[in-house]
Amino acid sequence: MLIAIAAHFAVAAMLPLAARRCGRAAFAIGALVPAGSLALALTYLPGVLRGTPHGESVHWAERIGLLFTVRLDALAMLMTLLVTGVGAVVLCYFGRYADRDEPGHGRQAGLMVAFAGAMLGLVLADDVLSLYVYWEITTIASFLLVGGAGRDEESRRSAKQALVVTVFGGLALLLGLIVLAVAAGTFRLSGILADPPDGAAVTAAVALLLVGVATKSAQVPFHPWLPAAMVAPTPVSAYLHAAAMVKAGVYLAARLAPAFADRPVFWVPLVVLGLWTMVLGGFRALRQHDLKLLLAFGTVSQLGFLLVLVAVGTYTAALAGAAMLLAHGLFKSTLFLTAGAVDKGTGTRDIRELSGLGRQWPQLATLAGLAAASMAGLPPLLGFVGKEAALKAFLHATPKDVAVLCGITAGSVFTVAYTLRFLVGAFGTRPGAAPSRAKPPGAVFTAAIAVPALAGLVVGPGVGWLAPLAAGYAEALPGAHDYHLALWHGLTPPLLLSVLVLATGYAVYRAGRAVAVVSGRVPEPLRAQRGYDTAVSGLIRLAHGGTGRIQTGSLPVYLAVILLTVVAAPGTMLLLRGLPAIEAPWSRSWLQLPLAAIVLAAAGAVLRARRRLTAVLLTGMIGYGVGGLFLVRGAIDLALAQFLVETLTLVVFVLVLRRLPPPFARPGRERTGGQARSGQPALRRAEWRKALVAALGGTFVAVLATAYSAGRERLPPASAWYVDNAKPEAGATNVVNAILVDFRALDTIGEITVLLVAATGAASLALGAGRARRRTMPRPGRDERTEVRR
Amino acid sequence: MSALVPLPVLLPLLAAAFSLAVGHFATVQRVLNLLVLSGIVVVAALLLARADGSGPVVLQLGGYAPPFGITLVADRLSALLLLVSISVMLAVLVFAIGQRITDQGRASTSTAFHPMYLVLSAGVSLAYLTGDLFNLFVAFEVMLSASYVLIARRTNAERVRPSMTYVIVSLTSSLLFLTMVAVVYTATGTVNLADLAGRIALLPDGARAGLALLMAVVFGIKSAVVPLHFWLPDSYPTAPAPVTAVFAALLTKVAVYALIRTQTLLFGDATSGTFLLVVALLTMLVGALGAIAQNDLNRLLSFLLVSHIGYMVFGLGLFTEIGLSGVILYVVHHIAVQGALFLVGGLVIRHAGTPSLRHMRGLARSYPLVAVLFAIPALNLAGIPPFSGFVAKVVLLRAGAEAATPLAYVVTAAAVATSFLTLFALSKVWVGSFWGEPAPAVPDVDPTDDVTVGTGESSRPMLAATGGLVLAGLVFAALAGPLSGVSERAAHDLLDQGPYRAAVLGEARAAP
Repeated sequence: MLIAIAAHFAVAAMLPLAARRCGRAAFAIGALVPAGSLALALTYLPGVLRGTPHGESVHWAERIGLLFTVRLDALAMLMTLLVTGVGAVVLCYFGRYADRDEPGHGRQAGLMVAFAGAMLGLVLADDVLSLYVYWEITTIASFLLVGGAGRDEESRRSAKQALVVTVFGGLALLLGLIVLAVAAGTFRLSGILADPPDGAAVTAAVALLLVGVATKSAQVPFHPWLPAAMVAPTPVSAYLHAAAMVKAGVYLAARLAPAFADRPVFWVPLVVLGLWTMVLGGFRALRQHDLKLLLAFGTVSQLGFLLVLVAVGTYTAALAGAAMLLAHGLFKSTLFLTAGAVDKGTGTRDIRELSGLGRQWPQLATLAGLAAASMAGLPPLLGFVGKEAALKAFLHATPKDVAVLCGITAGSVFTVAYTLRFLVGAFGTRPGAAPSRAKPPGAVFTAAIAVPALAGLVVGPGVGWLAPLAAGYAEALPGAHDYHLALWHGLTPPLLLSVLVLATGYAVYRAGRAVAVVSGRVPEPLRAQRGYDTAVSGLIRLAHGGTGRIQTGSLPVYLAVILLTVVAAPGTMLLLRGLPAIEAPWSRSWLQLPLAAIVLAAAGAVLRARRRLTAVLLTGMIGYGVGGLFLVRGAIDLALAQFLVETLTLVVFVLVLRRLPPPFARPGRERTGGQARSGQPALRRAEWRKALVAALGGTFVAVLATAYSAGRERLPPASAWYVDNAKPEAGATNVVNAILVDFRALDTIGEITVLLVAATGAASLALGAGRARRRTMPRPGRDERTEVRR
Repeated sequence: MSALVPLPVLLPLLAAAFSLAVGHFATVQRVLNLLVLSGIVVVAALLLARADGSGPVVLQLGGYAPPFGITLVADRLSALLLLVSISVMLAVLVFAIGQRITDQGRASTSTAFHPMYLVLSAGVSLAYLTGDLFNLFVAFEVMLSASYVLIARRTNAERVRPSMTYVIVSLTSSLLFLTMVAVVYTATGTVNLADLAGRIALLPDGARAGLALLMAVVFGIKSAVVPLHFWLPDSYPTAPAPVTAVFAALLTKVAVYALIRTQTLLFGDATSGTFLLVVALLTMLVGALGAIAQNDLNRLLSFLLVSHIGYMVFGLGLFTEIGLSGVILYVVHHIAVQGALFLVGGLVIRHAGTPSLRHMRGLARSYPLVAVLFAIPALNLAGIPPFSGFVAKVVLLRAGAEAATPLAYVVTAAAVATSFLTLFALSKVWVGSFWGEPAPAVPDVDPTDDVTVGTGESSRPMLAATGGLVLAGLVFAALAGPLSGVSERAAHDLLDQGPYRAAVLGEARAAP
């Protein structure tokens, strides 16, 4: 199966090129890949039914835990059938749906096929990292498909919301998966599930995984991205946002359930959020006028339902979950494709404008009716089988089951109601309205819609074929194995409940207007979209506020922070771990004291100097003072070098200074201009602060140097060696020279380079200034454009 | 083989001198620069093969026994980073030459650029290869002095200030570096790294810890970790695209290398672990939030650069083999991706005529190729699979999870959050500037300004260089297997210290 996944990506990469040549046919070419994958997967079906999963693996970077793996078991097979089957159908449909003259067919087809490949990889992956890789590829594909060319504001906003929400969940998922895998000691999903680890970290990891599940499968409070994503072309919505991508979360929950469903951290959030989402989604769907939005809220609701089924972790619920997973994929893709056909044929999806379509398009209306019946849970369709099993799963007298049963019953009532709203809205005839003018849907549309619709019809009575697959998955879960998927179980309580649901659903539909009024009254702060907007704007405010406050643009502040960090970080460490004891005497010679005083005084005076020459001379004084200190300690060679360098520097400085104005440009004077006096106190305070920081830094370095040199009495071995070997090795009587030009010549080469670079830089600045002046003058013989370009 | 070790330093220095002398022959300068950098790439590849196969390649300069002379060492880590760094410099050079020729014609000379670029490469190489703390200071000086010239070249009134910020902060960091070397020498009597490793271990606990933190702070300034990062977003964005690209790709990473080398070799254990983890946490989050607040493409990328330095410090702070292995992978990945992003940024600015995100619209339609070149490294930087950033990030997250301390978990979560914030910031660029109806390019306000050239033209070498770096992100990901092998062995070396010390000092003296 890896080859099938790879084929998706390879073909996806080539489709943009193919589309240049053959236009919309690119979609049909793309459809061949999922279709072929479906055929390939079916060859493994007998083995899967026998209970022996098919496995493959290819190394990517094994040490890191990166490999590409396939484990085709019952659940994976179920998802594969859905993903590849619906994928092939939708791609064929897309080829007809896309406008012939519109550009970007290749891009869309490529993204769809790449998405199909990622989705296939996701459901087949047996290791956590490649699962995550596919997961994120589906996110990016969804972002690009929703945004399209990003021409209108709405699609940009929706695409970004889908990206932000699902990436947020995706990253939570990644962290959860890694923590889980590290705790389990294996990156193999099957290995983790076979022997699930315990501990606080694992509990946190599971919670993180659920964030991923809830965002991808559009659960409260993350769900608004899904209705917003309906700005995408309808085939994209049908495939990504109904049949496949949003099922990734459900799939993952189903995958994890056998190992984690007994832990409250797993099932409590999923069941609570799932029920909430199921009811809320159904409720909100009743208010929609746009067929796609109606279906989108229906999808949100159904995803909640599915999550409840897979999360409770009992045998019967899992059977129901497997059946509903397939049923939902089939009926929801049918209905979306129908909505697309309506949109294409009439130019609108608004049920307030549509009328009389059922009479014009009897075939399409029948097919949509079949899918709708499956959605509402009418026999003999697959949706009915699934819903029966679901009701049965919770018909127990425990408080938990009763609560869940109430929730899914309420959700199902809304489902029936919005199903009617869709069907009547799309195909009904409104009294007094002129019938919509519709172009016939065409053979491709009808065929593409017929395939999933009829599949739902066939698998309903023929659920016996599906049952072993569903049982193959559900087996891993606890609970009595006394239930099986079937169309007719007799006059059982679930059946009676179903009838009740249908009747109530019809009543709710009839009372639609009242419901719409109520559902419009969700208080603004409770709306999830508002939550997203608040979170995003809060993040941006935080970013602006925080950054504006710390990134001040003031160089003195930056330097102060650096100095304070230098003092604080090692200083704290020294205080915590014990400062080296300072045992050195105050001075080794009385001469050190006046020399130190001279150096300090000169350093202080430099800062107060108003004229350049004074400053240079004072700097020289510091240098000579330090040389004097060397001399006192007996380092004659060093002192000599220091005096030479100081003298040279002074001479050069004086030569340069002749060409500069004598006083410094004083800060503050030009800044405050005429009101120099009013600016003075603030300036002085700033000066004091700078002085304080500088003094602190200087003192700290002095203490550090003293403390670290205190431990040492004799010359270090290196110094002794240099003194001994200067003459024999380097032929130099001056040790400093020997070190500079021989022992450590590479340092000297480097420093000479620095000098030359500085000279080059200064020259380039000086010359560059002249060049810039020349360049602004227009050169003759060139036109305006070239002039601007330079 | 050890004769190869000094070539990456001496070759470009000699070439720089020659290049300066032939400043009026543009073609000679260009060809020479390309040849020298290609040569270093080959040398680095050979050194890496050798170091990975049979241990560090060591050269005692002048034949003086350590610690009296200067030692050059090419071990797995330094050879790997040298190879990647100089390769990226080569790609950026191609871009720079292409840009120059496109804008000003084949004959236009630029006396200072090529020599300075060569000096920069020499400094970078020396920083990787030297086994001597003072020589490392010299390497930083060489590298930084060249960078001062490159950033301040062709400056105008607006950009003098950012250049000044850069130069003054860098000088301050150099001063602190020098102070640190003095303190180290006074405490131990040696500056040879391998020798220091043994002597620092003999210091009292408090003194060792103080030194470790002092070094971390000193290298932290040039690595631009929070709160020592302020200078970077203020100074990088104003330089021309190739200069910013090479600064962003390399200079911070050289400092990170120095940080890794000194913390592991000299201190070994997790003395500064907690400090580094906290710094990593702050760096990742503050940088990423800073990026979200920006409306200037280059400033946004600069903040992201800061943010992602945090990932490297994170892995180092864990002081585990897998953590260091993650850091090495991340550094390699980041050198390429950050270079790519700034080059694409340059292309974008040429097309849009402005770095302001407010004035860019619809670039995906007007320049689809540039859009693709932006999208891939952007996703890569955010750590979206299947690119190199994802591979490196996974290793780091795994290291964090394996460390299993509360602080490590917090920083791991912050790393994931940073990924999200990075994508958030970059999606703003994509949605706002690449989507939508194309807007006309902002006319070039100042034709003398190399930064906002706004010609709308990009020549084939520029696209090829950018594409090469973008592709590198994919190649690294594809080669994740062998690459993670090398990085894991290098990480093992770093924690073990033994092979490095034995190679430099000889078996007998290295023994504790």
